[in-house]
Amino acid sequence: MSNQAVIQVDSIVKKYKDVTAVNGVSFTVNRGEVFSFVGPNGAGKTTTVEILVCLRDLTAGKAKVLGFDVSSRKGKQQIRKRVGVLPQDFNTFDLLTVKENINYYKRMYGNVGRDTDDLIKLVNLEHKSKTLYKNLSGGLKKRVAIAITLANDPEIIFLDEPTTGLDPKARRDVWKLIEGLRDQGKTIFLTTHYMDEAQVLSDRVVIISYGKIIADGTPSELILKHGGKTTLIVEDGKKEAYEVLKTKFPKARIENGDVLVPINNKSDLPNAVMALNGNKTKFGELIVRRPNLEDVFLNLTGKKIVDGELN
Amino acid sequence: MKRIAAIVNGALRTWFRSKTTLFWTLAFPILLMLLFGAIFNVSDDPRFDFYVQNQDVIDGQPSMLSNTFVSMLNETGVLNIKMVDATENTGTYIEEKGVEMMLIIPEGFHQSSLAQNASVTLKTVPIEVDTTAATVRGVVEQVIEYFNIAATGQNPPQVVTMQLEDLVSNNYRFIDYFVPGLIGMTLMTTGIFGAVGWNTRNKELGILKKLATTPLSKFEYIIGVILFELVMCTISTVAILIVGVLVFNVTILPNIYSIILIVAGAITFPGMGMVIARFVKETDSADAAANAITFPMMFLSGTFFPLETMPELLRQIARVLPLTYLSDGLRDSMVYDNASSALYNTAIVLVVGIIFIVIGSLITSWREE
Ligand SMILES: Nc1ncnc2c1ncn2[C@@H]1O[C@H](COP(=O)(O)OP(=O)(O)O)[C@@H](O)[C@H]1O
Ligand SMILES: [Mg+2]
Repeated sequence: MSNQAVIQVDSIVKKYKDVTAVNGVSFTVNRGEVFSFVGPNGAGKTTTVEILVCLRDLTAGKAKVLGFDVSSRKGKQQIRKRVGVLPQDFNTFDLLTVKENINYYKRMYGNVGRDTDDLIKLVNLEHKSKTLYKNLSGGLKKRVAIAITLANDPEIIFLDEPTTGLDPKARRDVWKLIEGLRDQGKTIFLTTHYMDEAQVLSDRVVIISYGKIIADGTPSELILKHGGKTTLIVEDGKKEAYEVLKTKFPKARIENGDVLVPINNKSDLPNAVMALNGNKTKFGELIVRRPNLEDVFLNLTGKKIVDGELN
Repeated sequence: MKRIAAIVNGALRTWFRSKTTLFWTLAFPILLMLLFGAIFNVSDDPRFDFYVQNQDVIDGQPSMLSNTFVSMLNETGVLNIKMVDATENTGTYIEEKGVEMMLIIPEGFHQSSLAQNASVTLKTVPIEVDTTAATVRGVVEQVIEYFNIAATGQNPPQVVTMQLEDLVSNNYRFIDYFVPGLIGMTLMTTGIFGAVGWNTRNKELGILKKLATTPLSKFEYIIGVILFELVMCTISTVAILIVGVLVFNVTILPNIYSIILIVAGAITFPGMGMVIARFVKETDSADAAANAITFPMMFLSGTFFPLETMPELLRQIARVLPLTYLSDGLRDSMVYDNASSALYNTAIVLVVGIIFIVIGSLITSWREE
């Protein structure tokens, strides 16, 4: 994969009257990668996307998309032609059919790119092409929105929280679509507050909180660096298991009746199991939990994201 | 151009598929017309009154031949004759009573009949305004023919000839007054609710934001919306006129003023709607705001009842409402055939329309700051 930067963001700042929504953010996105911008509600994700797709002017800093300056008139024109945007909470015309809706946006670009039937096929909606948008389920609506986002066969696809509010099945459908687009070599700029989503889909993740970037790397880099240890969970181990383990594992702790044992090296796991076995300790089940992006966020901010909100 | 066409096309499809919008823009005005027409058209119709003023009076008695002529008119049985005293001033009388058809038998009719050079004058509203005038004219012509034959045994030479004069009537039926007002009202509601609904709804759905990320410019978008409104207004207007003509035999004089007025109306109210949509963000409150503006305007602009019947204060208010000028202008041009007044009203609506559409377009938010 070439490492050509298609988005270059340098210390951008965006102030609304008294809120600084984006506060000195810098990053680059390379061609062909799925780049995730992760953070809780109000972190500044949408503001950043809207600056990059020329919906908002920035207060300070510099940003280039496909080599074009987002602050110049000419640059804006070029960017608009070449990127596809799925705004947050986007819905299209209720009383137009799937096909009519896609055609509508295609005309805005002068009907370049793939034809409408191809797009409908791409999002698996052939059987619904003549259905009015309002009569579709939430998941299918989202697929129409994604087809619309691809209307101009864009080089970069911006998806602002494409799975928020969808049921698990529909979320997975969207994930599949995103993976398919990546396989076609598209660059995807994804924002989300779902850590699992970012972990599954992303080549690279930037975590943003209160308008500032707090981590930037591949999911495995971030987990390695900030995720903490793999943990053995002794379910329902209670005091008994804790007493058995605490000599060998001074960092073990009890949480809701479970005993959590940090695993530092290869021998830790068998040792712990043998100790429990040798003492005939009672417990429910043994679970090995590897750290994930959620832990990364927790370790960096001391908080969790639940339904998009800091907790 | 393709982009503008796409906007118009999408909006029209949406319009045709939305039962509520179709109801308010098409069915409602037509129902209103049928309802009001039915209520107010039962009152007795002054048009069938045929006024006759016999000025040929000698010593307080009508002259013999003039009296014969009137009797012959009476004998036809088709005219509802009302005699006007010879002392009445004809012009004043016509104006006060709202006379639409009047026959004047001049002084000296008896004498000139004997000399075979008498004439009578038939004053009617133009037959384009009221087709009964043509019928009445035919009847009078018949009577004159019989009179001539009776007097001379042949025809020609003519004893009596008829002179025709046009009357500008001020006694139109309620429906003639109502239909142009109804068109004005429909242009207003269609325009204001159309623009408010379309813009707030599309903003809420994120469609405007999405469009702003495409090469479409705000200018193209607004042109598209205005063209859509224009098409919608034209369809509504034509529908109202067709029903008005078919059901109530409303007389419509098509002319350039009415066309300009409809175009001007079709930009004024969307312009107002854009102004509302700019300041009221949620769909529900935007609807409420649109109602708060359209309802008073509907009643204060003489849509249903002439302004002359209203208290002075309300008339003052009506004078600053654009709908007043639109409805008046439509009446002047479509019904009354009053060119100078139509021109005045058209000019006002056009200027106001341009001001509103320019302001509306400028303040419609598109890309954010
Ligand atoms: N148009 C606006 N005017 C004022 N403040 C805004 C506006 N849009 C967003 N904000 C504020 O900026 C911050 C970042 O918002 P946003 O970029 O939407 O975050 P996210 O997309 O990560 O949820 C929030 O505090 C939000 O309240
Ligand atoms: Mg957001």
